[in-house]
Amino acid sequence: MHLKSTNDIATRARRLAAIALATATAGIMAACSAPGSSAVQVAASPVSTDLGTAPITLNLVSDTPGVDAFKKMADGFKKLHPNVTINVTGQDFNTLISNAPRMLASGNVPDLVRLASFGNLVKDKLISPLDGYAKAYGWDKWPQSQFASLRSNQEGTVRGKGSLYGAGPGYGLTGVYYNKTILTKLSGTVPTTLDEFEALLKKAHGAGYTGLLTNGKDGGLTYPLQNLIMDYGGAAPVQAWNYNQPGANINTPATVKAATTLQSWFTNGYINANTNSVDFTSAPAEWQKGQSLFWTSGNWSAPAADKALPGKVGFFLFPSIKDTDTRYAMSASLLLAIPSKSTHKDAAAAFIDYVQTNAAARQITFDQLGLLPAGPEGASVPTVAPGAQADTETQFAKASGSDGLVEFMPNATASMSVSTLIPQTQLLVSGKVTPAAFAAKVQSDYTSSLGK
Amino acid sequence: MTAVTSPETSEAGAPGTRRPRARGRNRGLNWNALLWVLPALVAYAFFDLYPLTQTIRYSFYNWDGIGAATSAGFGNYVAVFTNPEQFASILHAFVLIFFFTVIPVGLGLVVAAIIRDQKAGPFATFTKTVLFLPQVLPLAAAGLIWTWIFSPNGMLNGFLRAVGLGSLAQDWLGGFHTALPAVGIIGSWVSLGFCTVLLLAGIGKIDGSLYEAVRLDGANRIQEFFAITLPGLRSEIIVASTVTTIAALSSFDVIYISTSGGPGYATTVPGLEIYRLTFVSQQVGSASALAVVLSILILAIVLPLQRLGKQS
Repeated sequence: MHLKSTNDIATRARRLAAIALATATAGIMAACSAPGSSAVQVAASPVSTDLGTAPITLNLVSDTPGVDAFKKMADGFKKLHPNVTINVTGQDFNTLISNAPRMLASGNVPDLVRLASFGNLVKDKLISPLDGYAKAYGWDKWPQSQFASLRSNQEGTVRGKGSLYGAGPGYGLTGVYYNKTILTKLSGTVPTTLDEFEALLKKAHGAGYTGLLTNGKDGGLTYPLQNLIMDYGGAAPVQAWNYNQPGANINTPATVKAATTLQSWFTNGYINANTNSVDFTSAPAEWQKGQSLFWTSGNWSAPAADKALPGKVGFFLFPSIKDTDTRYAMSASLLLAIPSKSTHKDAAAAFIDYVQTNAAARQITFDQLGLLPAGPEGASVPTVAPGAQADTETQFAKASGSDGLVEFMPNATASMSVSTLIPQTQLLVSGKVTPAAFAAKVQSDYTSSLGK
Repeated sequence: MTAVTSPETSEAGAPGTRRPRARGRNRGLNWNALLWVLPALVAYAFFDLYPLTQTIRYSFYNWDGIGAATSAGFGNYVAVFTNPEQFASILHAFVLIFFFTVIPVGLGLVVAAIIRDQKAGPFATFTKTVLFLPQVLPLAAAGLIWTWIFSPNGMLNGFLRAVGLGSLAQDWLGGFHTALPAVGIIGSWVSLGFCTVLLLAGIGKIDGSLYEAVRLDGANRIQEFFAITLPGLRSEIIVASTVTTIAALSSFDVIYISTSGGPGYATTVPGLEIYRLTFVSQQVGSASALAVVLSILILAIVLPLQRLGKQS
């Protein structure tokens, strides 16, 4: 009896397994067609700057640290447009970036979304072109270099020109923080050429300091690298590469030379030896020790740099080879986009115009988002106490005035940062790859990534 | 299952006299049984079987997860073995088996045997609690704590300097040769408690008279361990090995937090690569192919293990 029922169970289990297998097979068979759908088709709506009087509720999705700032801006916006209420919600930055494509393709889309890059959103037609609004609000009369990285062709394959797909309150800016106390001790002055910069690195190392603090664990080594590439070979080839222009190639003598220089800086002990385990969050703590002469980072680190060593920190743009050459800085916009499925595009565009032009909003951008507002020429300039943060403001004006703002190489493709530049710069400074192999690998990963 | 089978056995009559009618009933009972497992089956089919089929389906396409897909044939599978970074990630996962499985099970056996000798008491309870604690912590938190311990000015280097071994102090997670063993140690630390508690429970089930018998035969502790404890724990060792091997091959959180796969590609693992391919690169097809290969590898190791457990 017992035996028989066990057999029955076994038979049944087998039958169930057969059913499951059949279901699974049927699932696969039925699912053999290609996944995905063709792009969302949304009819172009007429552009209007009149928001009327009917109540409108906009949903804005930001990364969590940006929520407070956007809420304040939303309050200011409501004073001008009492019928428009903006709900600001926050998501963890990485979660937001990872989820954005699915969120914008879903049935419940926000009206404004903070993005880091376009990815496939343009290709999949999930975000709207803003050219109509640029014309209506006069953004097309502003200095246009600020919008270059926000433009893309309709296929989403080449950036830098084409339609405008986003705009935002402010910009980041990279450069070099310096410790004034150490610089005085070394009887040095703020370097104006690359040779002076390198001489100071050597001097600092000789005096027992870290010459250049970098956070190599999460990509900090790419800042001096990209600056060196642009110093040696100009910004145009790098910019073309960043924007995925056809035929763009980064495997150039300038890149090999830049990689060689960076590698020698590490080998000579100018760069912090623990760079591969220092990340963006632990770098300020290293800086606070007051043992590093220079620190390559961005203006977002200015409040932390000032707080760590009050009154002792300054900021300059990465030096060029000759004093008279253009000094380049990497810069990217905090980008707000309007999803194609949004039903309140006019109001959303009005808010994007507001954050760029309103004096109070620009001050919030500077104070709370730690970013530099661009906008029209002669727009209000945020006020700030003297220090590294004030320096970033003047240096931003200098770089944007001389056409020195360039997109980040890590943004060239979606995987360029985590899959290529971070591991490859770590291997490079540790002597595990040669400068030539480094340049070749960066290009080959780029090509294969764009081919997908 | 008993509730379902008992009426059938009582009505089916004596063995060998099964009537055709009973067979018919059996069929009805089968649907009845299906009804009982239906809720679980639906959930399992919806959340496991269906995604599994979809993963296999996606793996044959180049797809960004949203737009139109193009056929990739076996290209994504070829890439798993020809792309040096993807293939290296698989090799790293196998190295991690040593740290996630071999060390914790080996050490767990020793610890469990020692605790067994302690009998019950505050010391045994305390040891068990301390060892099991890592299992309660979220892996992300464990990764963060260990990042601090391993940092150049962290506890480990502080300890080494304090005992005069300062020359050994180094950047554990930032070094190309030390990073993978270092994250492996985090895995050992997490798994040890689980293995110990499981093995202790197994030891508790071993007949005490067996121990008395070998003692009478004059065996020492070590002989006793190999003669009684080890064979008696066969099924527990298999379970512990299975669970921890799966954890090693599919590891993600600890690595994501502590090294993000660096320095270079020294600590990349398939879990991390799958995450990046899907959410960073939007290459759902490549990610799915790697996921399928990973699943097959896990089965290839776990199924023989299971068979080994059934042979006893």
